[in-house]
Amino acid sequence: MSNDTTPPVRDTSGRFVKTAAEKVNAMSRTSEDGIHPMSRVLFGWTEKKGIGGIIFWGMAGLSILLVLLDLVVPRHEKIGIANAVGFYALWGFAAFSFVVLMGWPLGKLLRRDENYYGDLSGPPADIDPAIADRLNAGEPKAFEGEE
Amino acid sequence: MMPAWLAALNPGWLMILVGIAALFIPYRQVRQVLTVGTPIVAIALLVMAPHEVDLLTAEALDITFSFYRVDSLNFIFGLAFLIASLLNAIYALHTNNPRQDGMALAYAGAAVSASFAGDLMTLFIFWEITAITSVFLVLQAGTRAAYFASMRYLVIQILSGVILLDGLSYVWRYNGTLSLEAFQSFSDPGAIYIFIALGIKAAFPFMHNWLQDSYPKASVVGAVVLSAFTTKLAVYGFARLFPGFDALIWIGAIMTVFPVFFAVIENDLRRVLAYSLNNQVGFMICAIGVGTAGVGNALALNGASAHAFAHIIYKALLFMSMGAVLYRTGTTKASELGGLYRSMPWTTLFCIIGGLSISAFPLFSGFVAKSLTMSAVAYEGVSDAGMVVVWLMLLFASAGVLEHSGIKIPYFAFFGHDSGKRVKEAPFNMLLAMGMAAFLCIAVGLPAIIPGFGYQWLYSLLPYPVEASSYQPFTLEHILTQMQLLVLATFAFILLKRFALYPAEKPGTILDTDWFYRKAGYGFVQWSGTVWGKMGPAMSAMFSRLSERAYKRLESAFSPRGEIARGGLSGGASIWTAVILAAVLLMSFLSS
Repeated sequence: MSNDTTPPVRDTSGRFVKTAAEKVNAMSRTSEDGIHPMSRVLFGWTEKKGIGGIIFWGMAGLSILLVLLDLVVPRHEKIGIANAVGFYALWGFAAFSFVVLMGWPLGKLLRRDENYYGDLSGPPADIDPAIADRLNAGEPKAFEGEE
Repeated sequence: MMPAWLAALNPGWLMILVGIAALFIPYRQVRQVLTVGTPIVAIALLVMAPHEVDLLTAEALDITFSFYRVDSLNFIFGLAFLIASLLNAIYALHTNNPRQDGMALAYAGAAVSASFAGDLMTLFIFWEITAITSVFLVLQAGTRAAYFASMRYLVIQILSGVILLDGLSYVWRYNGTLSLEAFQSFSDPGAIYIFIALGIKAAFPFMHNWLQDSYPKASVVGAVVLSAFTTKLAVYGFARLFPGFDALIWIGAIMTVFPVFFAVIENDLRRVLAYSLNNQVGFMICAIGVGTAGVGNALALNGASAHAFAHIIYKALLFMSMGAVLYRTGTTKASELGGLYRSMPWTTLFCIIGGLSISAFPLFSGFVAKSLTMSAVAYEGVSDAGMVVVWLMLLFASAGVLEHSGIKIPYFAFFGHDSGKRVKEAPFNMLLAMGMAAFLCIAVGLPAIIPGFGYQWLYSLLPYPVEASSYQPFTLEHILTQMQLLVLATFAFILLKRFALYPAEKPGTILDTDWFYRKAGYGFVQWSGTVWGKMGPAMSAMFSRLSERAYKRLESAFSPRGEIARGGLSGGASIWTAVILAAVLLMSFLSS
């Protein structure tokens, strides 16, 4: 019996499944340079030239649009000040900025050396053994309680 | 209809028993079947359990124990714990650690058992079992830091249990019952003790540092497991025992705000998530405080329960994604990470979904859950100016959540400055667990296009389903205001980054209230030890010199070689003694 006798439908189906399986396999294998093929599909757009500007102006435009929409969407807030046009926008912007900017003085005030408490340790024991071997070369791998 | 013995089988007890058995099973595949299969069986048992009935009781020492009682409040907490346990088991499938597998299952089982307890003593017993089982998850990290952190963790958790026992003793002494009735005020016997015990586990401000101390030092799997149970069990405890207590409103509001500032300067991303956990629990605590003391408010209690359910899933997802990063790179320090989306795109995607959920973007679970709490607080704000301040604090904290969990975590781990780390994508089981959690985050947050699905499914599980069914989160007004808050906050991030105003991630230890016992308290004890070390010998020497001199004096006076023993004086001494004796006798005769 030769291959020629195989019905064409089954052959096509088989080829499709095989191609699909190969494609899925290829998409799940990280290349030698450490790039996962899905990263281009999902986040390739973040590497496009000028994407920073597009995001910046896009978000600026969206922000203005959302505030303008406040003029046409009727609001029935229980708390009086929340009815003001752009209240949520202003509060969100101000709160976020305040938190981040407070990071400067707070960092200076509260940040100490990494080993401030004298218990600086490596990663936990259950990380990828390949990484653990590299990181813990020459160091004791586990701490059993003794000083 | 289930057989009676099966209906009386507390799913939490089943998990504890299987968890203990798993400790002694050397075969990995058998343990895997048990750790994944048991939560599934437990979910089935819970779903079929009748409500508002004592399913398993016992009498001892004149106390009636109710070991298993399901009602509309504890059902959603128990279900969330069981789902989290299933996700955790799948996430841990790549490991081969009987102690971790067993303890993770027993810990989840203890939390489930505690939430289905029908009396305070049963709650206390399982409260303590959560403490004992969970400490192993920190210890499994095997590092020096984890060892010391686990000891501090254990001390604080046991302290919480002891205070709870103290409180329930008062309840028993004065009320003659241990039933889980809500307290009416702090003057009720035992109320204040139980409040503090729950407050420690819920990580109230100034009692919170056990969380940031231990969770980030736990093992990769351990941190994911830990994130789900202890604090949410305390939230359940508050919802059960202290609904409508005003103090909770302010404590919760402060809890939402202060961690935001620590999270922005923290470099360890798992520690950032621990602060974020604090902030999220604050929303729940605040919601529980709304309403009448002892009763609460239906909308707000729905909010706390929905938030707990959604939070358990998305917080687990975020911890899982950081666990995957830690597993593959060996670190979660933001200063050493960046650009990982190239190697770990699926993990990146799932982390972003977790970030969108916790930030409460519309179409994600946080939006439909947090809305209930925000609305309940806003309703109270109509008649109470103080509640307007609370509402503004919660809104401030909502922007803060976006900062640390919605943007900082995904941005600094997966995007931002490219660290040059090129690693493998997370193991398949980790991706599967993250995918399932991400699915739930979206599924629960969707509008109910098909009635009963989407957010309506979550709302149908809430303690007050009738009130929940009349609440509509997807109004144009609500979506617009939430998007304004989040989009403008995101725009603030872009602006601050563009003008280099965003503080760079730097390695370091951020001081928090644990400084008082880890540095000041420890330093004081050390100083006292040093002082005693020097004072002790000096005092011994002084006493020794004094006693030596006293001995010499006595010896020179009374010993056979001493002054008194000399013959010349002995006769005189006898006469004097006789004279004194005669005088005493005379006086006693005269006075009688």
